[in-house]
Amino acid sequence: MKQIPPEYYQMMEQLQAVDFVLVELTLYLDTHPDDLEAIKQFNHYAKERKTLKKAFESQFGPLQQFGNSYSAHPWNWNEPPWPWQV
Amino acid sequence: MFTLYKTYCPIAGPFDPCKPILEKTYSTPPNLYIGFQPPNLPQFTPLEALRAGTLWKPFYDPYYNPFEKAKGGIPR
Repeated sequence: MKQIPPEYYQMMEQLQAVDFVLVELTLYLDTHPDDLEAIKQFNHYAKERKTLKKAFESQFGPLQQFGNSYSAHPWNWNEPPWPWQV
Repeated sequence: MFTLYKTYCPIAGPFDPCKPILEKTYSTPPNLYIGFQPPNLPQFTPLEALRAGTLWKPFYDPYYNPFEKAKGGIPR
């Protein structure tokens, strides 16, 4: 049986946390489009998200499909864990 | 003292099968009292925010029913 390493959950949680911050800041900026500090924070986390995504995908395979993520060789989109298995 | 928990006293009919609760409590969300969100509110860290359900501390609103003491959660 294949085991999911604990780093998987750590990195996934980081990614979810940063995603949540981005959602919150998006909603905030919709009503406060002139808040420069918030925009800086948004861009900071957008960049951080890219870094986290890259690190996650290099270890555990693609997160998204249709060109949003790279694939290794051989094609690893269909490899477990599936979302409902983690 | 200001609190998010408000109370009201419902009518207790004489034929209620159970002992009436004379004072009922309900919780109101903090955004009711803030209005338009001011900029630069204090924030949670991303990991805390994920669990608090909001990025901004003034909007954090855990619910505890009036019969239990506040427990756990993220400190305000």
